[in-house]
Amino acid sequence: MLPQTLVKEALGIALSTGADYAEVFAEHTNQKSIQMVSTKVDKIEDAVIAGVGIRVFKGTRCVSGSASSLERGAVLACARRVADALGTGSAAIANVVLRERRFGDIHPVKIVPVSVENSYKVDFLKEACLAAKEYHQDISQVTGSFLDVDHNIMIANSEGLFAEDRQIRTRIVCSAIASRDGENQTGSCSPGARVGMELFDLFPPKEVGIEAARQAMTLINAGYIEAGVMPVAIENAFGGVIFHEACGHALEASSVALGQSVFAGKLGEQIANEKVTAIDDGTIPNGWGSINIDDEGTPSQRNVLIENGILKSYMVDKLNGRRMGMAPTGNSRRQSYAYEPTSRMTNTFIAAGEDEDKDIIASIENGLYAKKMGGGSVNPLTGQFNFSVAEGYIIRNGEICEAVRGASLIGKGSDILMNIDMVGKNLDRGQGMCGASSGSIPTDVGQPLIRVSSITVGGR
Amino acid sequence: MNYQDFKQAVIQAAEAKQVKDYELYYSESAETQTEIFKTEVKGFNTSSRLGVCFKCLVDGKMGYASTEHLSEEEAVSLVERALENAKSIESEEQAFIHTKGDTYAVLPKEEAKLPTAAELIDFSMSLQNQLYATDNRVVDGTQAYAGFVESKSALYNSNGLDLEDSAAFSFTYGMAVVADNGEMYDGMEVASGKFDSFNVEKIAKEAVKDAVDTIGAESVPSGKYPVVFSNKVMASMLSTYASVFSAEAAQKGLSLLKDKEGEQIAADIVTLTDDPMKEDALVKATFDDEGVATYKKNVIEGGQFVTLLHNLKTAAAAGVKTTGNGHKASYASNVGIRPYSFYINPVKGSLDDLMAEAGNGIYITSVEGMHAGANAVTGDFSLAASGFCIEDGKKGRPVKSITVSGNFFTLLKEIARIGEDLKFNPFALGSSRCGSPSVLIKEMTIAGK
Repeated sequence: MLPQTLVKEALGIALSTGADYAEVFAEHTNQKSIQMVSTKVDKIEDAVIAGVGIRVFKGTRCVSGSASSLERGAVLACARRVADALGTGSAAIANVVLRERRFGDIHPVKIVPVSVENSYKVDFLKEACLAAKEYHQDISQVTGSFLDVDHNIMIANSEGLFAEDRQIRTRIVCSAIASRDGENQTGSCSPGARVGMELFDLFPPKEVGIEAARQAMTLINAGYIEAGVMPVAIENAFGGVIFHEACGHALEASSVALGQSVFAGKLGEQIANEKVTAIDDGTIPNGWGSINIDDEGTPSQRNVLIENGILKSYMVDKLNGRRMGMAPTGNSRRQSYAYEPTSRMTNTFIAAGEDEDKDIIASIENGLYAKKMGGGSVNPLTGQFNFSVAEGYIIRNGEICEAVRGASLIGKGSDILMNIDMVGKNLDRGQGMCGASSGSIPTDVGQPLIRVSSITVGGR
Repeated sequence: MNYQDFKQAVIQAAEAKQVKDYELYYSESAETQTEIFKTEVKGFNTSSRLGVCFKCLVDGKMGYASTEHLSEEEAVSLVERALENAKSIESEEQAFIHTKGDTYAVLPKEEAKLPTAAELIDFSMSLQNQLYATDNRVVDGTQAYAGFVESKSALYNSNGLDLEDSAAFSFTYGMAVVADNGEMYDGMEVASGKFDSFNVEKIAKEAVKDAVDTIGAESVPSGKYPVVFSNKVMASMLSTYASVFSAEAAQKGLSLLKDKEGEQIAADIVTLTDDPMKEDALVKATFDDEGVATYKKNVIEGGQFVTLLHNLKTAAAAGVKTTGNGHKASYASNVGIRPYSFYINPVKGSLDDLMAEAGNGIYITSVEGMHAGANAVTGDFSLAASGFCIEDGKKGRPVKSITVSGNFFTLLKEIARIGEDLKFNPFALGSSRCGSPSVLIKEMTIAGK
C-alpha cells in the first residue's frame, strides 16, 4: 500500500522531536452497501476509503494525526504535523530498521465480494426480502441490505514492525414491519461473518427473511410487558449483549487505565458469580469480530477475562498498557485511519456452563424469557447499563407463555454479574456493530441460555 | 492530485462515457483536539479528511460512487462504478439533478477566530484545573477537552450549479468524575461556538454539579407518574424520532405519519419548526445537499401536522415542491432527508413552574440507550433514565436506575405544558440539531424497584 522506504521516512520524521514510539497506519478500503425497499434495489453506496493515521508516544502522552491520502507529500506532512505537535526535542530513536512480518490468515475467504457484480448480490438479497414479504399479509413493508467490506491495512512502527492484513467481511440485513390498526411492529435478522460471498451458504437468505417477518408478526400479536423487578432467562447468541454492555466495556483498558471503570484494580477478585467464565477471542476462524492482527500489529489472541467469577484479564492496547504496566492483548482497534485506535472487544462471550435449558426455564416462577435482544449501552464509570429486548415472552410457573413487546433491561454491571446464577450448555454467537471512541467496529457477542436471578425490566 | 485537477479528470471521464447528467460533491474537514488527564496533555490529535462523491442519472435512476483517493485512474473508476450502480437501481421513483436558478440567502460572513495549538492546550489545562478546584470530591478520571473544526463543501453539476460552503467553530467539554462513599459519579458540560466565548468557571461548575447532583440517587417504585422531561432530554427524543417527519420514510412505509398532513398529531400547544439559518446555529445552510435553496417552515403548527420534510425525489413522487431538506449523511451517502435547527417552540413558564404543576412526579434529566430502546418505525421507547423526584411541586432527591416507557406519537399528544427554556442538543456539531424547552407530560410509565 505504501512503499517501505516512504514508511521509514515518515517514521523518521515522526520520531524527530523526541518521541519514544512512532507508528504509521495506512488503509485502502472498498465498501459497498446495496439497500432494498420492498423487493427493489433503492440505494447503493459504494465507497473507497484511503488514508493514513500516524501516532507518536512520549511516555503516556500521545500525539496523533490523520489524512485522507496515501500520496508521499501528504503522508510526510502528516508525520511532520504530529512531530511538531509533540514538541521541540531532538530524536531519541535514530535508525528504524523495518522487518516485514507475516501473521498468516486464519479467516479464509472463498469469493471476494469486490470482484462480484451487483446483480449477483441483488438476487440473494431479493430472496430474503421476498421471503419476508410473503410470510404474512400483515407484513406491510420489508427493507434489506447487503454490505461487503474489503479492508486492507498496513501497520509499521519504530519497533521495526511492518505488517499488512486484508480483512474481508459481509453481512445481510433484513427488517420486516408488521402493521395492524395503525400500529407498527418490527423484526429483523442480520447475520454476518468474516467471509466473502459464501455468506449466503452459511445463512440462506430465505431463512433470514422469514426470521425477520416471524419476529414482527410475533410482536404485532403481543401486548406490553408490565414493568417490575423479576428473574430473566436470556437466550443464547445475541443475548450475549448483556455481557458486552454490563461488563465487557468496563474491562477495556481505555476505561480501566484512567480509573474510569468499576473493575479497575480488581484483578484476581471475585467480580461475577462462580458460574461465569467469559472470554474475548479474536482468533475464531471467520468470526464477525475476528482479526489476524489488531490495528497496532499485535497478533489477535484468546483472552480469558473472567474464570469461574474471578477477574483474570483486561483488554489492553499499547498506550493504555503503558499506564497500566501491562502487555497489549491484541485488542487495539479502529474503524479507519481517521480514528485513533484503542482497546476494544473482538468476539466476546460467556462460555458454556453445566445447566440444562429446560431447568433454567422451569426454575422461574414469574419472569421474562428474552428470546432476542436488541442493542444496548453502558456507562463504564458507574456500571449502569441498559438494553432492549427485541422479542420477549412471559414465564409463568416455569413455562414460556405469551409474547410481550417493549421490554428493556437496566442495571449495574457489577450487580448483574453476580446475579447470573444459571448458565446453559448451548453457546452461540450473534453479530453487532460496537460504537466507541475509536469508531464503529464489527464485534460478536455470545453466550448460552443464562438466568439472571433479578433485574429491573422496563415496560408499560 | 488536488480536487480541482481531479474534478477535471472526472468531468472528462464522464464525457468519455457519454454521461450527460451528473453531479460532483466535495467535502473537506480538518479537526484539532486536545485531551487532558490528571495534569498532563494525554492526547493531541489533528486530522484532515477529504472525499468526493460522484452521482449520475441513467434513465431516471441515480447511481453513486465515492472516493478519498484522488488519481487519474480513480476518476475513471468512480464514473464506471456510479454507472454500474445506476443500472442496478430498481425503485420506480424518478431521481433528479437540480438546475441553477434558485435565489440563495446571503448571510453575513462571520470571521471565526480559531485557537492556536498552544491556546487550545492552555485552555483545556485551565479547564482541567478548574474542574478539580470546583469540589474536593473531584477525582482522577476527570478530563477536559477542547478543539476546533473547519469544513468546506462544494457542489458542481452538469445543469450549471456550482456552489461552495464553509464553516468553522470551536468546542470544549469538561467531564467531571466525583467519588463519594466508594461510588463514582460523572457529569459533563459542553460548549461550542466561538473559542473566546468559552467560560472555564461556568463549564467546570456545570460539569461538577451534573455529577454531584446525582450522589445518593436511588430508584423509585414502579408505576405511572407525571413526568417533566428536561429541555435536553426532550431535544434528544426529538432527534431520535426526527426521521418520522421524513417524506422518504413515509413513502417507504417506515413512518406512521404517512398521509397524516392536516391531522391533529400533537397537543395544540405544540409548534415544531425547522429553520436552516437559525441565528445561533454553529452551521447555517443556505442550500441543501442537492443545491436547493433552504427556508424556514413549521412542521407542526398548533398541534396540526403541516408537512413532511422533502428532497427533490420525494417531492416529485408526492407532487409537491421540495422543502430543501435533501441531505447526505456523509459525502459518500446517497441523498436522504434531515432537518436543520429542528425545535419545539417555547411557550411559557420556567422549569420550576412545570414542576409545580406536576405536583408529585419525576423530573428526567438524562436518558440512555436511544439507539436500541427507541424505535422510529413503531414509535415505542423504553429507555434507561435518571433525574429527580418532584415532591409537592419541587425538585427533590436524585433518582437513578429507572426506565421510562411510552410511544412517541402518544407522547406528542400528551404534552400538558411547554416551558420557555428552549435548548439545543449541544453534541450536534453539524448543521442538523434538535431543540426543545422542558415539557410536562401527564403520565408516563416508570419501572424502578
